[in-house]
Amino acid sequence: MLLVTSATYSYVFSVRADALVERQSRELNKQIVLNYENYINSVIETANSIQAASLNLDVTREYGRLQEVYRFNAEIKKDVVAVILLRDSGELVLGSVADIGAGSPVDEIWFKTALQKREIFYFSAPHMNSITAQRKEEVISVSKAVEYSENGVKKVGVLLIELNFRTIGGLADKMNLGVGGHILIVNDDDSIVYSSLPQYGRIPSESMAITKQRYFGGFKAKIAHNEMYVNINTLSHTRWRIVSVTNIDDIAKTKRQMVALSVFIFLLSLAGAASVDYLISIRISRPLNQLQETITSIESGNFLTKAKTSGQKEVVLLAKSFNNMIDEIRSLMDRVVAEQRDKRKTELRALQNQINPHFLYNTLDSIVWLAENQRTRDVITTVIALARFFRISISKGEIFIPVRDEIEHISNYLTIQKIRYINRFEYVIEIDEGILDLKVMKLMLQPIVENAIYHGIGDESEIITIRGYRDGAFLVFEVENTGYGLTEDKIREIYEGLKGDGNKGVGIRNVYQRLKIYYGEEADIRIKSVLDERTTVSLLIPLEARAEREW
Amino acid sequence: MIYTKKRPPFAAMAVLCALALVCALASCAPREKRAALFLYTTNDPFISAFAEQIRALSTGKFSLQAFDADNSQIIQNEQIEAAIKRRPDLMIINPVDRLGMYPIINKLKQEGIPVVFFNREPLLEDLALWDRVYYVGARAEQSSQIQASLVMELFGNDPRALNRHDRNGDGRIQAIILKGEQGHQDAEIRTAEAIRSFQEGGYSLDVLTIEIADWNRDIAYAKMEGILDAFQDRMELVLSNNDAMALGAIQRMKERGIFRDNNGNGRIDGGDSSWIPVVGIDGLDDAVLQIQAGYLYGTVVNDSISQSRAIVALSERILERADADLSDLPLEGGKYIWVEYKRFTLD
Repeated sequence: MLLVTSATYSYVFSVRADALVERQSRELNKQIVLNYENYINSVIETANSIQAASLNLDVTREYGRLQEVYRFNAEIKKDVVAVILLRDSGELVLGSVADIGAGSPVDEIWFKTALQKREIFYFSAPHMNSITAQRKEEVISVSKAVEYSENGVKKVGVLLIELNFRTIGGLADKMNLGVGGHILIVNDDDSIVYSSLPQYGRIPSESMAITKQRYFGGFKAKIAHNEMYVNINTLSHTRWRIVSVTNIDDIAKTKRQMVALSVFIFLLSLAGAASVDYLISIRISRPLNQLQETITSIESGNFLTKAKTSGQKEVVLLAKSFNNMIDEIRSLMDRVVAEQRDKRKTELRALQNQINPHFLYNTLDSIVWLAENQRTRDVITTVIALARFFRISISKGEIFIPVRDEIEHISNYLTIQKIRYINRFEYVIEIDEGILDLKVMKLMLQPIVENAIYHGIGDESEIITIRGYRDGAFLVFEVENTGYGLTEDKIREIYEGLKGDGNKGVGIRNVYQRLKIYYGEEADIRIKSVLDERTTVSLLIPLEARAEREW
Repeated sequence: MIYTKKRPPFAAMAVLCALALVCALASCAPREKRAALFLYTTNDPFISAFAEQIRALSTGKFSLQAFDADNSQIIQNEQIEAAIKRRPDLMIINPVDRLGMYPIINKLKQEGIPVVFFNREPLLEDLALWDRVYYVGARAEQSSQIQASLVMELFGNDPRALNRHDRNGDGRIQAIILKGEQGHQDAEIRTAEAIRSFQEGGYSLDVLTIEIADWNRDIAYAKMEGILDAFQDRMELVLSNNDAMALGAIQRMKERGIFRDNNGNGRIDGGDSSWIPVVGIDGLDDAVLQIQAGYLYGTVVNDSISQSRAIVALSERILERADADLSDLPLEGGKYIWVEYKRFTLD
C-alpha cells in the first residue's frame, strides 16, 4: 500500500514535472518574445509617429517644424541615439543630428534593404558603425523607406533610427535560464543578431545548429552535456527569431530528489509502522503473554506467582483483577487447609484426651484385688500413681509438656501396670538430664509402652527399657522390650498400619499421626526387631520444628 | 477457476468474422482528408465571416479544424506547432505577422504539409522557399486603383475637362485622405496607390491633408471636425482607406449640413451643390445602406466569397494528390491566386 502510494506519487510527479518544465520554458520564451515585441513596437511607433506628424509637412517649406518632430522623437526615448531622414542618394535631409560624417551610407545593408523591401522595417544586428553618434557605442539601425515631399514634390527616402544596443540586450539579462541557458536572436539568414553569452563559443554553435534544423517551436535537446529546453519563436514586425535555451537539468535534478524523497518517506513510514507494531507488542502483546504464562503456572498449582502489573492500561487492569482473583483463591485455599488442620487437631486432641476405659477398669480391678489381699502399700502406690497419671494426662489442657512430666507420666503408668501384672516385667528408664526441661508432645510414650507390655508378656524375664536422648537434630525416645521379636513382614504390616485407617494398632497410629501434624514430615516412628531377643520402637522428634510451632 | 477448452458457438464466430470484414473494409476506404485553418483573430468580423464561408464551402470535401490566434503570432506559432503533431494533410493560414512565416514554411516543408496562405500575404522570398506554398488574396493596390477609378468616373472621366464636381473649376481635385493605422501595410498601400493612380490617370490631385484615423469610425468622426473647419469650403473629395472611417466622416458632414434632401424624397441625390463625394473600401453592410441612401458615393468590395471559393478549390486539388496538376487553376507563378476587388456604387 505504502509502496504503491510512493510509486504513484513519484510517477505523477515525474509526468507533471515534465509538463511543468515544458510550460515554464515556453512561458519564459513567450515573456522574452513579448519583451522584445514591446520594444520593437515602441520603435515602430516612434517611426510611425514621426511619419504621421510629418505627413502633411514639406521638408523645405516646413523645415523647422519637421526638424522639431525628429528632434523631439529622438529625445523622448532614452535609448534612441538618433532619428534622421536620408535621401535615396544617401545625403542627410534633416534629423536629430547636424551631419552624418564623411562616409556615405548607400552601401550599408540597412540602407539598401530599406529601399529594396519598402513596406517593412529593417532591424540590423548590433554594430559599432554608428553614422550619427558622437561617442562610440554599439547601435542597432532600424530603417524604413518613407515618402516625403520636398518643395511639393513627393520623394522616397530612408528613415533611420539608431538605437542603443544596451537596452535591447538588457531585455534578456534578467531572465533566469539556468546554467548554460542563453538567448539568441537569429536573423532570417540564420546569422546571429544577438547572443546573451559573452562570446560566441561552442554553445551557440550547437544551439544554432538546432535552430537551423528545427526552425521553430519548443523541444528538449542536449546542449553541452546539459538537458535543455529550446524554444524558437518569431518576433513580430521583424525577420528575427528569438531562441531561448533553458537548462532543465536543475529540474531533472529536482525530479530525482523528489523520487529519492518519496523513497525516503516510504522507508520512514515503514520504520514508523514497525515502531508502532513494536510498541503495541511491548505494551499489549507481551504483558498478555506474560499473563498467560502466569495463568499456566497457576494452573499447575503454583499459587505464589503474581502477574506483572505493567504496560498498557487495559493490560494492567486485567493483571490486577487477575492478581486479586488469585489472592482471593489463595486465601480461600489457605482457609480450607487451616480449617482441615484445625478439624484434625480437634480430633487428635480428643484422642489424646481419651482415656482408655479398659485401662481404668483394669486398674480399679487391680486396686480391689490388692485391697482384698491386704496389700495396703500397693493400693496406696497404685492410687497415687493413677492420680498423678490422670493429672498429667489432663495437664491443664496443655498439648506440650516437659520431658520430665512425660517421663513421670509413663513411670506412673508402668507402676500401675507392674502392680497389675504382678511384677511379670521389669522396667528401666534412662533419660539424659539435658532433655528433661524440653517440651514435647504429651502422652506419646504411653501407647508405645502399652504395646511393649502387651507384646512382651509371657516371658518371665521381660525388661522394658525407655531411653531418651538427643541425637543431632533429633530428640529420640526408645521403647525397647525383650521378647520374641517381630518378623520383617510384621514390621512392614505395622508401618503400613501407621499410614492407613485400619483398626489395628490404633494407639501407635494415633501417636504417629500426631507427630506428623505437630512436628512435620521429619518426625517419624521406627521399629527395629531382633527375633527372640528384643523389639525397639523409636520416636524421632526434630528439635528445629519444635521451636517454630506455637500451639 | 477451471478453464475448459470450448469451441465458440457458431453464431459468435459469424459475428466476429463480419466485424473483422467491416473493419478491414473501413480501413481500406480512403481516410477523410484533414485541413487545419488558422485565423489571425475572429474578433475581426471580416475574418470570422471569411472562416464561415470556407467552412461552408469545404463541407463534404474535407474536414476543417479552426484556430483563433487572438492577434498574437506567439499563439499562432504554438497552434501551428501543436497541429503539426496531429499531421493534418493541409494548413490554411491567415498570418498574424506576415514577416514571421518563413520558419513555419521551412518547418512545413520539412514535414511535407502543404500550406495555403490568405488575407495577409507573406513575403515573396518566403513563399519561394517551397513549391507547395500558395497564396490566395486580393492585391491591396487594386482596391485603391478601383477606388480612384470610381472618383475619376464621377468627375467626368476626362482629366482635362472635369465636370461640376470640380466645384471651384480649377481643373484639379482638392482631396482629403482618411488613412488607416500608420505603418499598416494596407493603409500605406491604399494611400500611396490612390495618389499614384490619379497621377497615372493624368488627374491633378491636391491632397489638402492626410489624417490618420486608425481604421476607426469614431476617430474619423472626431477628426473630421477639424478637417471641415479648415477645408470645408475647398474640399471636393473624401478618400477613405476603409468604409468605417468614411461612415464616421459622413456623420460629421451631415451635422455640418453638407448632405441635403432637397426634394424631400428621403434620399440624397448628388445633384445638390453641397454634396461632396465620399468613397470607401471593404463593402460593409452599413456602407451599402449609406450608398443606397445617397450619402456614400461608392465602395470597393474585398470579395471574401470569391476568395473562399478559390481557397477551397485549391485546397481540394492539393489534397487530391501530392503531384496534382494545377495548371487549369489561375495560379500566377504557381503560387498566387488573385481575386479581383469589386466596385460598388448605385450605378
